[in-house]
Amino acid sequence: MTEKPKLGVYICHCGINIAATVDVEAVTEFAQSLPNVVVARNYSYMCSDPGQLLIKDDIQESGLNRVVVASCSPRMHEPTFRKALQEAGLNPYYLEMANIREQDSWVHQDREEATAKAKELVAAAVAKVRLLEPLTPREVDAEPAALIIGAGIAGIQAALDIGDAGFKVYLVEQSPSVGGRMAQLDKTFPTLDCSACILTPKMVDVANHPNIELLAYSEVEEVSGFVGNFDVKVRKKARYVDVSKCTGCGDCAEACRVAGRFPNEFEEGMGKRGAIYLPFPQAVPAKYTIDPERCLFLTRGRCGKSPKCVDACQPGAIDFEQKDEIVTFKVGAIIVATGFDVFDAAKKPEYGYTEFPNVITGLEMERLVSASGPTGGEILVDNGEEQIVPKEIAFIQCVGSRDQSVGNEYCSRVCCMYTAKQAHLIKDKIPDAKVKVYYIDVRAFGKGFEEFYDRVRREGIRYVRGNPSEIFKRGNKLIVKVEDTLTATPLEDEFDLVVLAVGLEPRADDRKTIDLLRLSQSPDRFLMEAHPKLRPVDTASDGIFLAGCCQGPKDIPDTVAQAKGAAASALIPLARGKVSIDAQVAGVIEDTCRGCGFCVSICPYTAIELVEINRMGHMVEVARVNEALCKGCGSCSAGCLSNSIQPKSFRDRQILPQIAALGGIK
Amino acid sequence: MDLNQLRKVAAEVVSRDDVKYLIGWRRGTFGYRVAPYFVEDAAGVDELIFSPLCISNLATYLTLVEKLPVPRGQEPDKRKVALLVKGCDSRAVAQLLVEKGVKREEIVVVGLPCPGMIDRDLLAEKYPETDKAAELRWNGEDFLLVGEGEDIVIPRAEVLAEKCRLCRHPNPVLSDITVGEPVKPWAAADDSGVAEIEAKGAAERWDYWEEQFSKCVRCYSCKSACPLCYCEDCILDRLDPIWVNRAVNFSENTAFHLARAFHLAGRCVECGECERVCPAGIPLGKLNRKLAQTVREEYGFEPGLDPEAEPFQASYKPDDPEEFIL
Ligand SMILES: Cc1cc2nc3c(=O)[nH]c(=O)nc-3n(C[C@H](O)[C@H](O)[C@H](O)COP(=O)(O)OP(=O)(O)OC[C@H]3O[C@@H](n4cnc5c(N)ncnc54)[C@H](O)[C@@H]3O)c2cc1C
Ligand code: SF4
Ligand code: SF4
Ligand code: SF4
Ligand code: SF4
Ligand code: SF4
Repeated sequence: MTEKPKLGVYICHCGINIAATVDVEAVTEFAQSLPNVVVARNYSYMCSDPGQLLIKDDIQESGLNRVVVASCSPRMHEPTFRKALQEAGLNPYYLEMANIREQDSWVHQDREEATAKAKELVAAAVAKVRLLEPLTPREVDAEPAALIIGAGIAGIQAALDIGDAGFKVYLVEQSPSVGGRMAQLDKTFPTLDCSACILTPKMVDVANHPNIELLAYSEVEEVSGFVGNFDVKVRKKARYVDVSKCTGCGDCAEACRVAGRFPNEFEEGMGKRGAIYLPFPQAVPAKYTIDPERCLFLTRGRCGKSPKCVDACQPGAIDFEQKDEIVTFKVGAIIVATGFDVFDAAKKPEYGYTEFPNVITGLEMERLVSASGPTGGEILVDNGEEQIVPKEIAFIQCVGSRDQSVGNEYCSRVCCMYTAKQAHLIKDKIPDAKVKVYYIDVRAFGKGFEEFYDRVRREGIRYVRGNPSEIFKRGNKLIVKVEDTLTATPLEDEFDLVVLAVGLEPRADDRKTIDLLRLSQSPDRFLMEAHPKLRPVDTASDGIFLAGCCQGPKDIPDTVAQAKGAAASALIPLARGKVSIDAQVAGVIEDTCRGCGFCVSICPYTAIELVEINRMGHMVEVARVNEALCKGCGSCSAGCLSNSIQPKSFRDRQILPQIAALGGIK
Repeated sequence: MDLNQLRKVAAEVVSRDDVKYLIGWRRGTFGYRVAPYFVEDAAGVDELIFSPLCISNLATYLTLVEKLPVPRGQEPDKRKVALLVKGCDSRAVAQLLVEKGVKREEIVVVGLPCPGMIDRDLLAEKYPETDKAAELRWNGEDFLLVGEGEDIVIPRAEVLAEKCRLCRHPNPVLSDITVGEPVKPWAAADDSGVAEIEAKGAAERWDYWEEQFSKCVRCYSCKSACPLCYCEDCILDRLDPIWVNRAVNFSENTAFHLARAFHLAGRCVECGECERVCPAGIPLGKLNRKLAQTVREEYGFEPGLDPEAEPFQASYKPDDPEEFIL
């Protein structure tokens, strides 16, 4: 830098968060003694208005040209202080923060040592700040459209909100119909409204909304670009049915030569369907789909003399020549709403799920009590000998949740309540049924949940505290072996039906989406938000948001709330029409770059490509950074052997003096 | 090894219009030594040899050639470079291809299955060189010293180079033309020759490497001979910022060696050149083979086998066990 450095150092008390452990006066005095430091001050809350004003005034009055703030993590307040610098007319990147809270006062007890460490951190920041260079953020236009992946209740709600706000939405659903898991549910806790009644109107709305383009039975194949400017490629899978002709009459499905032969996924395998099918009566779009793996014509090349569906379809909608179609479009923001899988009960072999037909999962129970389900809402089970109406029914909670042995440490947050709901529905349909719930803890934390749980218990449902160890068969009864842990009594209870309250798991096929969008997962394998408290719908990638159970287990109210949050966040770039691109990005030193491409493969944001340049008459490849994509994470820099790529503000020559200062080297 | 066959192939290669020269070996000017040899035309092939002393890795020359500025209006010479490779050398070529140090269309690779090379230091201990010309040949499992008097059979175990004793890939992993029949690999797959050091305690290991690194005179021969140390501006040479000070002492030497070792982790092809050229006798092979072993065991990765592979530093497996990360 050409002008003489004039530094201001500001030490924050953070109330007593810092000041209780670090002697801020001593640190201020020390800072004052460092070279080029013009002012050093301490203040109770540097991030507050008066705190920021101290900096601004000093910049203006003492002509400071570099600022060090010793306070909390830069993740917290770097933007705050950068703004303060900018408002005082200084380049916002002339700021360096020393984290004396998370990296010092919060993790140490000894005041003397914590103070000494604070001094070192300040000295290091002072050593670096002098070497910072001015940077200028850029602004680019944002495409006024959004992509939403997954059309469960989360995706549907987000699509409606963004569509209503006046922006284009591409809603991509991989299955033939929108609706997700909620469409499979019968009634919903805690208010017991019928799931279909509250969901179907929204499903119809997304299909008819002028701003929403519904791409059902489709998959996102490629996403490139960055916030405001994503390029998306979607594969619309062939349905072998011309949707513009199909009236949804269903004559084809009735006629299909293999009608009723295959398990229907929507009915959790309990109902049957043919090769041409509508997953459920209220499906949206109400168009039939041919399952290419089941259809005789598509697998063997012939189906009798002529395919029966073709003969049956009046409007002539069946089209075996149909091919997958690729559509491409641009969006400014993306919402991931891919939902969840239920825990595979076969992974707890002691409960005999694969062995006994009358051990079923909670999701199967939803279909069994549903008036539109495979039994028309009648609760009928196969006890291995005959179809019976079960009279003694058990629920086992926490199957696949809070269970380290299956790798799921977390609570699935809905099983306690859906168990209570289903227990109530059974009591409603079979009033003389004896229903017992085996639980470890009951978590009724939501609005109206505790009240609902109380109501269900008053209906005569018995709650037994204990985690069953085994289910086996005696005669035509199922025996649940368990210890009642409140009375320390071992029990062997008899039942006609056992419902496993299976937990929620990340979708097995989420890997695809993770790789596509370069998302992260938290330790529970659900998609990771940018900050668990303050940025619960954002991801680490700008312009990509999360909604619903893909981010973690939740009930419908929370799913909808998060979807609305994600929609509001996605609307910010769309409504502003512009996005600003951070200037703290990686830069390549082309003279020394070997063109090896390590950085290209390493960059988690695909921000780097190799380009050919002329080096003294030889055409050679070197790395080049797309500044709009780069996050300044520095991964590339760590991988580059010749240090030819370095993030700005974190260049070798900026951080080596910082490290040296930490080691007490001047 | 049928030398006539090799020379015939070489003559054909260098006669091609699109080949600049072929890099091979010929007899040196002293005793039984051999030297690298750049063959520019068919007349030169008669001096080409392939013997148990052709231990040097010629792949190093691929990146060593300086790219001089091309005057305006002229085209750079785009002709290919041909070179002879043993198993280990071919791995260096494969690794160079992986990291785009050379391009496939810039080279012609003549592969030579390698029955094992002699460590000249071990040989010289028993059979001191004279200025009289002599040569070494393969003789079944063993070696044959052909000199003035009677031929002498030298048992393989006495003089076989350590890197060859441990070699897992004696046949070239890639070549455009192969001369000679493939050999049967002889080494146990899991021996990196570091068991003895690993068995020592941390303090003992420290003492061992302190002694070794202290011997280093910082001649940079190891770096120059390494086929994979070819950065335009090596961080070990860099002045701004200075990563390793010029001072020759244990501390700076250690920084130098550790930086290089880590730069070669997942890239080193165990060709042994660094150790062979070191005038101070530092067992650099042990250091590099230890890292190579770790990379094999912890990441299931072995460099220089597949020219199409993702580079180790830049590859990522979602199901990586990462057992060693705390
Ligand atoms: C047995 C059971 C009972 C429940 N009962 C209740 C209740 O009574 N009350 C309540 O509040 N909550 C209940 N829940 C919870 C409720 O089901 C969820 O909160 C809700 O379904 C979450 O919606 P979602 O949109 O996040 O996910 P989902 O409903 O799973 O929807 C995700 C959608 O994304 C699609 N998709 C996935 N991946 C892709 C991809 N790569 N590309 C395109 N599309 C994709 C899927 O096909 C699916 O349509 C219950 C859950 C279970 C298991
Ligand atoms: S910047 Fe570094 S890692 Fe990237 S291509 Fe150049 S030398 Fe390789
Ligand atoms: S700093 Fe490097 S690795 Fe990180 S996003 Fe930027 S270019 Fe990619
Ligand atoms: S470090 Fe040594 S053994 Fe490894 S490739 Fe380089 S020269 Fe060969
Ligand atoms: S030590 Fe590292 S930087 Fe230097 S030449 Fe070798 S690989 Fe390149
Ligand atoms: S060749 Fe040997 S002495 Fe020379 S720098 Fe390398 S290790 Fe040191």
